[in-house]
Amino acid sequence: MNFSRREFAVGCSTAIAALAGGRLGGLVFANPADTTPRDILVIVFLRGGCDSLNFVAPTSDQHYADARPDLRVKDGDPNTDTSSGWQMSNPLAQIDFRFHNKAKPLLELYQSGDLAVVHACGLTNGTRSHFDAMDYIERGTPTNKNTSTGWLTRHLVSIGADNGSATGLPAVAAASNVPTALLGSFEAASMARPTDFKLNSHWKYGDDQRGALRKFYSGDTALHSAGIRTLDTIDQLQSRPAPNPDVTYPPEARANGLKDSLRTIAHLIKMDMGLQVATVDYGGWDTHEGQTYVFPNQIESLAYTLQTFYNYLSAYHSRLTVVVMSEFGRRLKENESGGTDHGHGGVMLVLGGGVKGGRMYGSWPGLTQDSLDNGVDLAVTTDYRTVLSEILMRRLRNPKLGQVFPGISAYTPLNLVEGTDQAPDFTAGFSGKVYMPLVTR
Amino acid sequence: MPVSRRRFLKASGAVSAATATVTLAQTQGTLAADPALTAQQIADLAPAAAPELPQIAIIALNRMGYGPRPGDITAFNALGSTPSARLTAYVNQQLNPVDSQDTTCNTKLQNVKLRISYTKNTLPFTEDRALTSLNKTLAQLWALRDDPAYEERVRPVYEVRLATWLRAVYSKWQLREVMIEFWHNHFNVNAFADTKISVTLPLYDKLMRQHWGGNFRTLLEGVAQSPAMQFYLDNASNKTGGPNENYARELFELHTLGSENYFNALYDNWRDVPGATSGKPIGYIDEDVYEAARAFTGWTIADGSWNGSANFPNTGQFTLYANWHDRFQKRVLATELQHDQTPLQDGQKVLNLLAYHPGTARHLCTKLCQRLVADVPPQALIDRAVQAWAANQTKPDQIKQTLKVILLSPEFAEAWGQKVKRPFELFAAFLRATQVDFPPGGLFVDDNLSGTVERTGYRLFSWPTPIGHPDTATPWLSSNVMLLRWNILNDMLGRGFWRIPDASPAPFNLRGQIPASATTSRQIVDFWVSRLLGRTLASNLMSELYDFMSQGSGPDVPPIGDTADVTDRINYLVTLICMTPDFQWR
Repeated sequence: MNFSRREFAVGCSTAIAALAGGRLGGLVFANPADTTPRDILVIVFLRGGCDSLNFVAPTSDQHYADARPDLRVKDGDPNTDTSSGWQMSNPLAQIDFRFHNKAKPLLELYQSGDLAVVHACGLTNGTRSHFDAMDYIERGTPTNKNTSTGWLTRHLVSIGADNGSATGLPAVAAASNVPTALLGSFEAASMARPTDFKLNSHWKYGDDQRGALRKFYSGDTALHSAGIRTLDTIDQLQSRPAPNPDVTYPPEARANGLKDSLRTIAHLIKMDMGLQVATVDYGGWDTHEGQTYVFPNQIESLAYTLQTFYNYLSAYHSRLTVVVMSEFGRRLKENESGGTDHGHGGVMLVLGGGVKGGRMYGSWPGLTQDSLDNGVDLAVTTDYRTVLSEILMRRLRNPKLGQVFPGISAYTPLNLVEGTDQAPDFTAGFSGKVYMPLVTR
Repeated sequence: MPVSRRRFLKASGAVSAATATVTLAQTQGTLAADPALTAQQIADLAPAAAPELPQIAIIALNRMGYGPRPGDITAFNALGSTPSARLTAYVNQQLNPVDSQDTTCNTKLQNVKLRISYTKNTLPFTEDRALTSLNKTLAQLWALRDDPAYEERVRPVYEVRLATWLRAVYSKWQLREVMIEFWHNHFNVNAFADTKISVTLPLYDKLMRQHWGGNFRTLLEGVAQSPAMQFYLDNASNKTGGPNENYARELFELHTLGSENYFNALYDNWRDVPGATSGKPIGYIDEDVYEAARAFTGWTIADGSWNGSANFPNTGQFTLYANWHDRFQKRVLATELQHDQTPLQDGQKVLNLLAYHPGTARHLCTKLCQRLVADVPPQALIDRAVQAWAANQTKPDQIKQTLKVILLSPEFAEAWGQKVKRPFELFAAFLRATQVDFPPGGLFVDDNLSGTVERTGYRLFSWPTPIGHPDTATPWLSSNVMLLRWNILNDMLGRGFWRIPDASPAPFNLRGQIPASATTSRQIVDFWVSRLLGRTLASNLMSELYDFMSQGSGPDVPPIGDTADVTDRINYLVTLICMTPDFQWR
């Protein structure tokens, strides 16, 4: 005996995949039995705590101006004054909200109706620790950082795309390691470039090794299936031509890591590798000092890179949703070092063909002393899970919100994306500790 | 002798067999048409793919250890005239390790150097340093917290990690290493979560080393009082008025009873839990966790912080601080804890209740069988292990007595291919079988090995949740991990992997290990298959390897190509054999 029958049964979607060739209608599906059209979700995580108040700034708020004599975004003409931002239509609370001066490409996406902005949103847990805040957000359980799976993992599990037997690459972290949002995933692959997913071998003997492995792994155990699936994925990636023309970033896009990561994801999408979710990290936002030197560059790189990436994938807009988020915003009052300290309420950007863009969403809590969180930070009026739940429901067609975000009990969409609502399922489905509740066993 | 599916289903019990029926029926349309189909029939329908049961030496060396080194199989087989005599002798040896006999490993640990570099007082600082943290006292380790260099503050973690690799690769006492890995996972801490954990990890490791085969109750208390666990699960700041239940929660759910004995969804009141009114509840609910959290108030570490009336001494010592202790009565697992007990009395009472609970015996024995036998261990074996566990629960060698029952069971000897090596086990096995000079030249410029293996998700001493690394195959079989299982083997052949200077000898000399009598491709392949797998493979698979080695020149002549080419091919032959399922199983 090798693996138990149970293990074999678990691996049975492999058998079905083999029957269907793993491809339906020209698309690779992680779970071939699932033909629900779901958006590809790309999460861009701004690591370090992005200053939401200078990214999307409430320029006409007097408290803002008072608290930030040197760091604020002003309400002058952004074409001639680089300290002034780009005015946004449909703002919150009739405030003159403006994108940072270096974020003009985002204004264009906003005006074209593909980009929505949610302000004063984030984690309901009050932690100001990067480590804790990221943990809570990415595990999707704001009261428990011991949860053994990430929220994206549980999404994949709940649509049957993360049972250790997927064809293609349903989940990719364009990085050297898989982020916490994909913690516990059986399928998540990390890669700097699609071409990295290959057998590293001797130039002369690599093909021989691959060929022999195919023979060695023909068998019916879960281990054999895993080997064949891996060889198939290598073959698929190797056999598909790299997209031509390649994405070309403008000179303002200077953050090489971000550019490379988004290029990798764009390639995987164009190579049709069955991608369902992808994650990108963009660090450098912990601007405790010298924010005027660092922050504009960060924003400029983000804005130009994101716009270029999005335009490069124009054929995919109808099934692409990009979310930009950070672990928290920063202190309203600037500090003595020309920076800002860890704060609370942040901003989320949602970009895609199915996004009802050109609007701000959420509820503006104001910046008066008593409306601030702990008296010092922008409050959180929209739980980040509210935004992600709507995307899960309407764009990823997954109503199992309780499984993805255990403990939530209400579905209250902001109506920021197109799509239909199904009856939300708030059943947690499993204890947060059970390592992997994948299949009925 | 292959074990039939029939036999397996019988051994694994009705529950999993029934589950198999359901799952298969759900996923296979043809079978679903006949709901009356039994598990037995399904088993007979399924194609037979059972890997053959190898000789007992292979089973023992791979599952009680990190795989055979050259000579191990011969030595094992010299231990007795029958398979069971050999296994018995080997188990008895392994259960009674003698450190002074572990000369190779001891020498390695003493001589190995791990480079440390950082900027010290604006100047670059580099030192090729021995593993000096391993035997430091608490006072010495605790002082590292104040070192301005992050590299010094986490140095103990890197040293423990490297020592763990070295012991896995070189120690004679393999079962001990496997069990220490088991306990580290059972009582997992993320060493990078807090400097107080990183600096004290050598002591935490020593705790596992001391009690790996000892008494569970003793080990449990050692863990409860360790700075590593105290800070990882926040009990250090658990005080009356603002109790922190993090430790208590995991103590029940992970360290002792397990989530299978958590009945909160079924019962709202402690009295409703079956057995509670007679003082023997079958499991626990949230109330038990809350009350236990109160019992552990005042268990803390003297870390120099403010304790309400003064600063604790800054020593890192475990401390019982009565002012933080909740003095009122508590009820845990239907047992009253009187008011005004000392923090030690309350905490120890909870540990007793948990350590001696039958649910804990079952939880721990299931995990042990899962580690040592199969992902889904036979129920009958678990039952016998539970008996031994409970019968010896106050003995100083309780764990060893339990291990003996598991390791000398027929189920142990008849199971193969029901576990896949986790990445750490796989690469340790490779390093053992190939006799690599590990680390090459005795120096790790950086621990690229651990860093690379982390890409598979195996994060030695930094698994990010209290549950520890999963001990079933599936999480280690994604396409990403499978590819890394193969790639890291090939990568290790390159000197770049080991960060060694150009002038150093190659880390591997695989060609040099082939006996002079083996000259043809067939002989070379036969030698390596036997060395690496301890058995031969199906003839069609052997042919693949002969073809690989001979490159078209035929198996019965020396391999074609110049010396460098043949050396390369031997290297990649060896990694190829280690990539096969037969090397990946345990």
